Amino acid sequence: MSRYEVNSLLYRLKKDAEFRARFTEDAAAALAGADLTEAERAAFVARDMRRINELGGYLHLVMSIPGLAAH
Amino acid sequence: MGRIVFAGAMSHVLDPGYYDRACGEHGRRSVLAAMAEIARMGERLSAQSPEALIVVADDHLNAFSFNCVPALCVRIGRRVQRMVQDHAEAFDKVLDHMPADYPLHEALANAILEQGLASGFDLALSWEAPVDHAFLSPVNTLHGPRPIPPLVPIFVNAFVAPQPTARRCFAFGQHIARVVAQSPWNVGIIATGGLSHFPELSLPRVGETDTVFDRRLIHCMERGEHGPLQELTAEELHKTGSHEFLNWMVLLGAVSPARAEVRYFGELPRINLAAVEWALG
Repeated sequence: MSRYEVNSLLYRLKKDAEFRARFTEDAAAALAGADLTEAERAAFVARDMRRINELGGYLHLVMSIPGLAAH
Repeated sequence: MGRIVFAGAMSHVLDPGYYDRACGEHGRRSVLAAMAEIARMGERLSAQSPEALIVVADDHLNAFSFNCVPALCVRIGRRVQRMVQDHAEAFDKVLDHMPADYPLHEALANAILEQGLASGFDLALSWEAPVDHAFLSPVNTLHGPRPIPPLVPIFVNAFVAPQPTARRCFAFGQHIARVVAQSPWNVGIIATGGLSHFPELSLPRVGETDTVFDRRLIHCMERGEHGPLQELTAEELHKTGSHEFLNWMVLLGAVSPARAEVRYFGELPRINLAAVEWALG
């Protein structure tokens, strides 16, 4: 259910300001318990929204996460 | 006996700042022109003194992500709140200046829901889902400073595959028309979103549209040819960036065989802006 994990994380980054702050501070640590493939984890750590979209992240989420959004 | 007294459909990011950032001065001017037409549509809507306004739109993974994504959902209850997003970006920023709370037409929403379940539409219901720009940008642009009638928000799952079919959305619109006809109320209905944008929901393709496809949709709507539109497939809608046309299909079912009159159509790199009104008999 990796597609779910990617989108669930995107949703949490958008809606949970405290989690977003921890991710911004140290992305790898914030994602430590997440059930992601290595490619997914690398894309999140790199804040590479284009790659996250390629991996199944919904467009409207990758375009609207405060401070991380692709434009 | 109730009736539908106004029907319109329009794009739903109605914000000069958004298009200025996305497309520059041309974008800003285009959306201002579209908004002016939508405001005129709103004057005609208000002149009918509707007792309720049904708004058929989609959620952008704000209200229903990911505990449950209903195919078709009726928002019931007495009031609905604007989505709240801290440090809003892009299309979410459009909501910032809008009123935070709106009255609902509880009795009409309940009638659509209850009669729907009784007649074979397994509708979802929500007392709590907030509404985002897809609902509130058109509603506020239509009304300006005038009072907004009690709303009946209807959510269509436009983006999370598998979506409801175009044919099913059309049939649901026919159900809405039957409910209104048996009710005591005069009702307005709008559908929002589109036209073509964000093909395949792919970030590298943001900035592409399919104008040929949009003109085909408009051609059918202008002639009241709703049969071919019911044949639209999820794949076609996804490839052409026409996901939100499912909202329009609900409206078409509610007003068929009425013919559409285009009030505005403008091509931008990011989206084809549109505003359409139906000539009701």
